[in-house]
Amino acid sequence: MSGKVVYRFYSDYEKEERWLNEMASRGWHLVRYRLGGYHFEQGEPGEWIYRIELLPADPRNAESQEYLSLLLDSGAEAVSTHARWVYLRRPAAMGPFVLFSDLESRIGHYRRVLKLLTTALATLVGCAGALFVVSGESGGLAFQIPMVILAVAIVALVLQTVRVSRRARRLEAQLLVHE
Amino acid sequence: MTTDDRRPLTETIFYVLLALGAPLHGYGIMQQVSELTAGRVALGAGTLYGALTNLTEKGWIRPLQGAADERKKEYVITDAGRETVAAELERLEELLRNGRRVVKEGWR
Repeated sequence: MSGKVVYRFYSDYEKEERWLNEMASRGWHLVRYRLGGYHFEQGEPGEWIYRIELLPADPRNAESQEYLSLLLDSGAEAVSTHARWVYLRRPAAMGPFVLFSDLESRIGHYRRVLKLLTTALATLVGCAGALFVVSGESGGLAFQIPMVILAVAIVALVLQTVRVSRRARRLEAQLLVHE
Repeated sequence: MTTDDRRPLTETIFYVLLALGAPLHGYGIMQQVSELTAGRVALGAGTLYGALTNLTEKGWIRPLQGAADERKKEYVITDAGRETVAAELERLEELLRNGRRVVKEGWR
């Protein structure tokens, strides 16, 4: 079976999920994710449907294990985990692969993602502040390079936070009419 | 029970409670709900798991102790859960009564 590794970076997990499903529709199925490297194996085009989810707790945690076992029972498998993120797939032959079947739980997942984003944002801003204080007046390259990297990451996180909160609000507006 | 607990139930919560008259594990609940609704309600795993957590916290269902596999806990409805379903049925019956009457009379 042939395989390949593609290196990519996504700040938007929904865009990432769409890409994984596009790859799957062309016969490239994700079998492992590690540090920006997507490991694919070639198979039948469209054989699997992929989903990316942020778990409420660490995957090794008892509650997460119970949830992953429920997914397994329902025909899905966890391809890879990355911190609290899990890459899931289910054979397309089993029909649509829906993790969240009502508005409340879809909003709940967005809220979970937003919490993570704001925590990450606070951490990065803290790092930038610390770097600023530590570097003092020197302001050499050793200060500028990490500062630029931090700034780029902060901007990416802010944009993603705005995107996700917009999606959550759109669903919340529907809640006024529908369950 | 607080007034908050007397608000309308979501379809997910209602059917999970209905499914748990006898102990079932997660996947059993999905199948039972699908059967009850002739396939119309297909619970997502994430949705169901969130519902089980919330319902357990409210005390409307409880996990059975001593499962052979800790990852395959079985749940069952509690007395508080049954009361909730009864109250919801009353509300739904009122909804139906009013809806049918108004529609029958032609929305005057």
